[in-house]
Amino acid sequence: MKGLSRRRIVAVSLVLLVIWACTALFALAVGSVRIPPRTLIRLVAERVSGRSPLEEPFATILFSIRLPRVCLGSLVGAALAMAGAAFQSLLRNPLADPFVLGVSTGASFGTILYSLLTASWGAAEAAAGLAYGRPVAAFAGAALVVAAVYFLSGSGRGTADSSQRLLLSGIVLASFLSSINVILLTSTSQADLRGIFYWLIGDLSRPVDASIYVVTLLVLAGFLLLYPFSRSLNVIATGEEDAAILGIEVPRVKAGVYLVASLITGAVVSVSGPVAYIGLICPHLGRMMFGSDNRILFPAVFVFGAIFTLLADTLARTLLSPAELPVGVITALVGAPLFVYLVRRGSGQ
Amino acid sequence: MNRIDSSPALEARDVTFSYRRPVVRGFSLRLMPGTVTGIIGPNGSGKTTVLRLLCGILRPAAGEVLLKGATPLRTLPRKVVAKHITLVPQNPGDDAPLTVLQYTLQGRSPHMPLFGFESRHDEEISLAALDMVQLTGHLQTRVSDLSGGERQRLLLARALSQEPEILLIDELTANLDINYQVELMALVGRLTRERRLATLVVSHEIHLLAAFSDRIALMAEGSVMSQGPVSEVITREKLGRLFGMDFEIRASAANRPEVLPVIRVRGSEHAGIDS
Repeated sequence: MKGLSRRRIVAVSLVLLVIWACTALFALAVGSVRIPPRTLIRLVAERVSGRSPLEEPFATILFSIRLPRVCLGSLVGAALAMAGAAFQSLLRNPLADPFVLGVSTGASFGTILYSLLTASWGAAEAAAGLAYGRPVAAFAGAALVVAAVYFLSGSGRGTADSSQRLLLSGIVLASFLSSINVILLTSTSQADLRGIFYWLIGDLSRPVDASIYVVTLLVLAGFLLLYPFSRSLNVIATGEEDAAILGIEVPRVKAGVYLVASLITGAVVSVSGPVAYIGLICPHLGRMMFGSDNRILFPAVFVFGAIFTLLADTLARTLLSPAELPVGVITALVGAPLFVYLVRRGSGQ
Repeated sequence: MNRIDSSPALEARDVTFSYRRPVVRGFSLRLMPGTVTGIIGPNGSGKTTVLRLLCGILRPAAGEVLLKGATPLRTLPRKVVAKHITLVPQNPGDDAPLTVLQYTLQGRSPHMPLFGFESRHDEEISLAALDMVQLTGHLQTRVSDLSGGERQRLLLARALSQEPEILLIDELTANLDINYQVELMALVGRLTRERRLATLVVSHEIHLLAAFSDRIALMAEGSVMSQGPVSEVITREKLGRLFGMDFEIRASAANRPEVLPVIRVRGSEHAGIDS
């Protein structure tokens, strides 16, 4: 075991955090309006030191538009990448990710249903009481899909081959729910069609409201809850029966990881929509860089997912500037070919 | 044979288990410390299921599996069970993207905290286990690059790394050359005596079990048909009844039975494999 230690994990995490900070500064600076690096650093420094930001047009763009978006992008990336790593490890299947398993689609279903019921699509949610509603509804949708996928694949009974059937059930359920989502959305009269369309692909451009705090809390808690499972998941990677022989409470670990991974997926999807491929690509790249031991992979992928998504969203904002693409378009454009490449490469190992 | 320990390390009492049809019925067996017990039985007699029941990854529908003759396995957390009992499974697990050393270190799992790192001590134990099965030359080799026989030995190394008191082995020698079969069974026998393990070996190689076991249990249709010291159980009459064919049995120099199946080819009769 070549030197996997706390020290290495901390070092890798710190380096990635520095890269993330640089990426975030870059994302704050570029866009339809370019903020010069010096002004950017001065504004951030003033804000951090508690002085009221200068009355500059830059300050408004920076703190009201870009900073919330950078925070959201980081959260979405971190959560989806982490959930992907957890699902892949749990199901011992490199193709597993929240999107493929239908968890993301389930979360969007929950969000849409909640928005319709409260008639608050893009509007009155800022009211404090409703801030929690959307992420919770999304989690309920995600958890429902998890339960349904479990039921459909019969893996609750712990039969062999359950991973493959779990994936197939997820894909089928996702396509089914996508249709329901579109029906639900089309039938609304007050629909902001462009917003809905973008959100269904995965979009970070909607204004951030108070629910961001709930989402942040859920994602950070999710990371702290998943991390202790990392060693057990390493053992499960060699087979569920082997893991049981080696003293792992396999059903308990599976249920716990599945629930928490669904929770963080639901939390971010409720704001960003189901952004595809992040949970597929980031863990793969993470494994290539840091190995497959989840004790280092989880923290690495958590930060790496944030970096990847920030870059993708920056590209989405600037590629056709002043027009903006939803970030899901970029992650799919970058992700799909990269994934094909990874699969071909991986099969040679 | 040691007769000092009178209480069994592991005991199955009247255990019953069904998948769709009953597989194990009324199975009772005691595993004593410092003793190798061999199980012989035809295909489908429930041998592998018995091993899973004995290590607690399956739960009996009726009856009990008792640790040290007292504690039912089902009342213990898996991690506690795994500190006492290990199973060397028949089929090497999936192609985990691990090196030989990493794979063996997973045997330390029950001795580690929920979230922790392998210590120098853990590494020493795993390296010693790999040394015993002669895989020290492959420490950084990927498990997927090993041959079938090497994987079999790796599984034994991982089990030894677990430092169990009760060692259950399913067809350890299936993929091995004859020299490795003998060597590994000798190793299992030696460790059983040195570490006072209670060892149970399921195998189709009757001659190996006859040579290396202290006790033998014959299994048919999910229960023990006959059990006892090797010389009492490995008899022409009992084996003949179990497999429905004839055997020739002679006493070896070490006063152990040597078993040869009598194979009839086109009316002629041979003891041993006809060539």
